[in-house]
Amino acid sequence: MPFRKFFSWLAGLFGKKKAFSLGLYGNVNVGKSTLANRISKDWTGEEMSAVSEIPHETREVIKKERVVIKVDGKELTLNLLDMPGIATKVDYREFVKAGLKESEAQQRAKEATKGIIEAIKWLEHVDVALVVMDATQDPYSQVNITILGNLEARHIPVIIVANKCDLKKAKPDKIADAFPQHAVVEVSALNGNGVNKLYKAIAKHAR
Amino acid sequence: MALRSRSGVQLEFVSSDAFSGRDEREKIRMIMDAVKKNKIIVLEGAISPDEQKWLIAATMEAVTKDFSGVEIATIGADVAGDFRSTVLKVLGGKPAGLTVIGPANLVKQVRKDPQRLNVLAKG
Repeated sequence: MPFRKFFSWLAGLFGKKKAFSLGLYGNVNVGKSTLANRISKDWTGEEMSAVSEIPHETREVIKKERVVIKVDGKELTLNLLDMPGIATKVDYREFVKAGLKESEAQQRAKEATKGIIEAIKWLEHVDVALVVMDATQDPYSQVNITILGNLEARHIPVIIVANKCDLKKAKPDKIADAFPQHAVVEVSALNGNGVNKLYKAIAKHAR
Repeated sequence: MALRSRSGVQLEFVSSDAFSGRDEREKIRMIMDAVKKNKIIVLEGAISPDEQKWLIAATMEAVTKDFSGVEIATIGADVAGDFRSTVLKVLGGKPAGLTVIGPANLVKQVRKDPQRLNVLAKG
């Protein structure tokens, strides 16, 4: 660990800006990968993650390093980490219902469980966390509480992203009421609404 | 203490004393053993965020074709392991809150808000 700090300081001397790690966490199918792609496309021109309606599309941590974002005249360099969705259950039969063959469904379930374990291990290793929530769903889920509880315990700055605000059923106020201790930014990762406010919030929390 | 309904759903109420002297890993193992026996357990005290996290990880390691995971819900304490809970523990008091954990094939739905927990089990 001391070597990491030394090399980081050395890189700073030679003008290479230190990147902070920004992790996207949340339940399954809340739009983490869509948001990761939005951020990545906005600042690098490229998407980074596969997106699908079938749950657990992201089954390992996807990283995009040294993404430079410019907010209010300042530049921030970040390593973007799209985490697998966290869940307390994975049933291969759900994948069969979604159209996969049984053998494919079982393989996907196996990979999904490994992805969840990886996401859990990463909970203590990010500098700033975006906890993405589907604004059309009840925010007071055990997964959200577990994610937030762990980040709070480690004093990792959190921004709650109320996603899918383009949908009629969206109730982002419910999220703000459930978790008043955190900043909540309302976005639609799909159409890009609200992401500029999100970038400002990231810049504020990354200081 | 265990209760069994006519439909065969078994509820087990576990005092916080059952875990005294046991480390986090053992606590999670005991919970998982009960859940894999198709019991819904009600723990005295809310499990900490760290314990919740490792319980999810242990659950994922245990997932098979026949065991898809668990439903967990905690209520009644902001954070187990916070200052208030620690003081209570030192003074010999009981931890605040309640935790319900059950196998996903048995627990159809858990609805919660800060003050209430509603568990719907499949009969």
